[in-house]
Amino acid sequence: MLAYTLTRLLYLALVLVVMSVLIFLVTQAMPGDVASMIAGQFASPEVVQAISVKLGLDQPLIVQYGRWAAGILHGDLGRSLVLEQPIAPILMEALARSLVLAVVALTVVAVAGIGLGVLAAVRRGKLTDQMVSGISYLGIAVPDFFWAIVLVLVFGSYMKLLPTGGYTPVAEGVLPWAAHLVLPVVTLVLMLLARIARLTRSSMIDVLQTNYVKFARAKGMPESVVILRHALKNALLPTITVLAIDFGLILGGVVVIETIFSYPGMGRLLLFAIQRHDLPLIQATILVVSAAYCLANLVADLLYAFVNPKIRHGMRTA
Amino acid sequence: MTTAPHTRSAVPPVAVPAPASRPAAPLLDVRGLTISYGTGRGTLRAVSDVGFSILPGEVMGLVGESGSGKSTVAMAVLDLLGEGGRVESGEILFRGTDLRRLAPAERRALRGDSIAAVFQDPFTSLNPALTVGRQIAEPLIRHKRLTPRQAAVRVEELLGEVGIRDPRRVAAAYPHELSGGMQQRALIATALGCEPGLLILDEPTTALDVTVEARIIDLLAKLCDSHHLSALFVSHNLGIVNRICQSVTVLYGGVVVETGPTGRVLSRPAHPYTKGLIAALPRITAERRARLPSIPGTVAKLSGPPAACVFAPRCPFAEETCRSHPQEMRAEGDGTGVRCWKADALATTSWPDEGGTAPRRGALPARSAPLVEVEHLRKIYGASTSILPWLRRAGTVAVDDVSFTIDRGEVLGVVGESGSGKSTIGRALLALTEPSAGTVLFDGADFPQQVRRGDQTLRRRAQLVFQNSAASLNPRKTVGQAMERPLVLAGRGDAEERRRTVAGLLTRVGLPAAYADRYPHELSGGERQRVNIARALATDPEFVVCDEAVSALDVSVQANILNLLAGLRDEMGLSYLFITHDIAVVAHIADRVLVVYGGTICEEGPVGRVLRPPYHPYTEALLSAVPRLAEDGSEPPRILLEDSALPPGGRGGCAFAGRCPRKLGAVCDEQAPPVRETDQGHRIACHIPLATLAERAPVFPKLAGGDAAAR
Repeated sequence: MLAYTLTRLLYLALVLVVMSVLIFLVTQAMPGDVASMIAGQFASPEVVQAISVKLGLDQPLIVQYGRWAAGILHGDLGRSLVLEQPIAPILMEALARSLVLAVVALTVVAVAGIGLGVLAAVRRGKLTDQMVSGISYLGIAVPDFFWAIVLVLVFGSYMKLLPTGGYTPVAEGVLPWAAHLVLPVVTLVLMLLARIARLTRSSMIDVLQTNYVKFARAKGMPESVVILRHALKNALLPTITVLAIDFGLILGGVVVIETIFSYPGMGRLLLFAIQRHDLPLIQATILVVSAAYCLANLVADLLYAFVNPKIRHGMRTA
Repeated sequence: MTTAPHTRSAVPPVAVPAPASRPAAPLLDVRGLTISYGTGRGTLRAVSDVGFSILPGEVMGLVGESGSGKSTVAMAVLDLLGEGGRVESGEILFRGTDLRRLAPAERRALRGDSIAAVFQDPFTSLNPALTVGRQIAEPLIRHKRLTPRQAAVRVEELLGEVGIRDPRRVAAAYPHELSGGMQQRALIATALGCEPGLLILDEPTTALDVTVEARIIDLLAKLCDSHHLSALFVSHNLGIVNRICQSVTVLYGGVVVETGPTGRVLSRPAHPYTKGLIAALPRITAERRARLPSIPGTVAKLSGPPAACVFAPRCPFAEETCRSHPQEMRAEGDGTGVRCWKADALATTSWPDEGGTAPRRGALPARSAPLVEVEHLRKIYGASTSILPWLRRAGTVAVDDVSFTIDRGEVLGVVGESGSGKSTIGRALLALTEPSAGTVLFDGADFPQQVRRGDQTLRRRAQLVFQNSAASLNPRKTVGQAMERPLVLAGRGDAEERRRTVAGLLTRVGLPAAYADRYPHELSGGERQRVNIARALATDPEFVVCDEAVSALDVSVQANILNLLAGLRDEMGLSYLFITHDIAVVAHIADRVLVVYGGTICEEGPVGRVLRPPYHPYTEALLSAVPRLAEDGSEPPRILLEDSALPPGGRGGCAFAGRCPRKLGAVCDEQAPPVRETDQGHRIACHIPLATLAERAPVFPKLAGGDAAAR
């Protein structure tokens, strides 16, 4: 298990190194030149040159990359050109807000999605199953921005129950903070719930047909024990994978939803950086998003081992 | 028995007592049970008017082929019929109470308590996510209201009782950490926990290796005896039934066709179907039958009450009356019943045997070079030379330094248990897996090397038939499309010509040419296996590897397929590598045998020689574990092997040393056994001197004498 985790962490580091090179190269290839942007439209070539030298932009690419990468290793993500502030605090704040969104939304998705999936599998072919399936398809088929707009209209504009957007820190009161979270979370849940429910349903149906479930029934175990103790734990593996991917997705920024609700998470930060051509900010944001994705997947794989002792065994030997 | 008796743990075969005069009230009494399944195409009647009774302390065998309804009956007793299954009518009396009148909760309270079950496949019957101990404890906590702590103590007792040496460790283990035999013991311990009156055993040993099967059957027989348990023993294996059951009920097409004491039913079967079933069984006998007697046609499927004798369409003795009148069950006294009006007239008539006998062929005259030559073949799986030190693996040795040859027109049997490397040998011969070392020559050419260079021409001459007939065929392709594929790849003929070839091949394997337009799911298992064989023949191969090709088939179908393969060999001069765990099948079809264990060859030689002493200790154990019918002679003392031992291979010594009941000592662990030749072409790899090995009594005494058996 330890060896497995070590190996995975090593691979993760490798992936991030490769990612950092790619990010660096791609942002270099973007149109526009940082020095002239800083200097402004009407600056003389001498001023631009001076800024270039000051920022080290006249150095070869490899040297520039080395300085950037070394900075990151020391926890220095650089300075935003547009905001003229160090990037790290800005990024951490956005990440924290995305994290809140991800944790709240995915907790709801996991509990409700797995619950509905189990219910549909147990009542397979009956009305409950068909209703869960119908709602799931609706959730999958209708795009998230549509839900977002409907929710904003109904709860924000007409009923005036909830703020239609923005964000207030917890420090200014828990209730306003929570009120701002409700609509984005509900939209995310509507978007992600259907897939989790469908997935749990289908793997639950498979597991319910296994011999060990039949044997549990032959031992006289009541259905609740058969379903929760014997079937569910084994049926959760694919669900965990998708939940982890979804977690990475939200951390990486759900741009459309964050924009509609003006929620200042990773998505809006990245969008802002790209629109304003803030190269260091773009680079740092994408790198953090990649790291978040990789970590979420690693956590999912470790969770696998927690759920399935056979995989735990495989990790010990392979 | 003459040497080193202390190394041999022998148990006498389970005695089958003569049936008592039925004084006691039956523990389980099933009457007029009719069960149907709702399917997409209407209702299918799985079980029609089935009745039988089991006395306290009696083990009754419920025998039949797939589709006979035997498992359905067992599941109906447990109230676990599953989706679509419905008991239409009948009574299931357990201790005098009709279970059908009980509420679902009351029946659940009986399950695992008074009526316990063990199912076929131990590998999938235990939950992979829970410890074994917890799973055994569940019914104890539920039904006997034990605290988890009390249950844990009882679990260890139970595991000890089913012959597990280290109960504490096994209780804490997860299922995947145990061998199949240990898993099945754990399931039996679960079933015994609440001291049930009735055990439902649904093919409890079918998925296990023969040596393990023998031990589990002995354990079950012992437990039934000591706990005065009754059991409903569902099985397709007549030899196993003979070993453990006092009475037998034979099902065909969901109808009871015969019932009676085991000894009588198996030695003097009264119903034609029972006669056919016993006749079709491949046996280890002195003279070799050129063809096995077989039952033509496929299993009947009913949608309503039978309007005629269910077996009439396949019965060689059927008359007009049989086809127009349903048969009544006729009681014959001493608990015997037969559903055939001609039973008395047929009492002395046996199942027609069209095949006759043929001499066993010895080694063919060495006219030319062998077709296949394997030298020092070695295959290691999972070896890794990663740069990360903790990822480096030495790998598992699947095949370790194996050499043999196959002549043209010869059938070489490979016998071994799971993990013996027999399938890997087959795959290596077809260049489907790259050997780690050694050479595989096909007709003098280096097969794996040719494939490495991208030359696939040899593949046309060497083909493969697998065990699972359904999984071997693409469900989206018609039979014709599947069979045409190798012809297209070989660039043979135009579309019209290929169609003719396919039709010809289907005819050759005994299927109508019109089957080319059918999809695999429209065929029965036997028909699908015929298609697989026909496809293998499409490119006119000289050599076919049959990897457990008849293992998944019912006895009557198995006989058909074995006859087909024998016929093709005779007509086309095919060579086969016949891989199987069933030594009786090898005794029937093979000319020579390799007995493999842990990736090495223990013994090889002509079939007749391998079946007689001197034996390699493993061969002897394997032979003594083979379940047999009464007419093959009484069962010999069985040689019991440990369920599992250290993973064999790669340790320098004899691969079998860890489980060998005749192990000499350190020499077996440390030195590779010498290969000694007893007779022409008969070799044994063992440290025990040949003379000592030869002193053992033959496992099949009828085979012992005379060279007639050997040649």
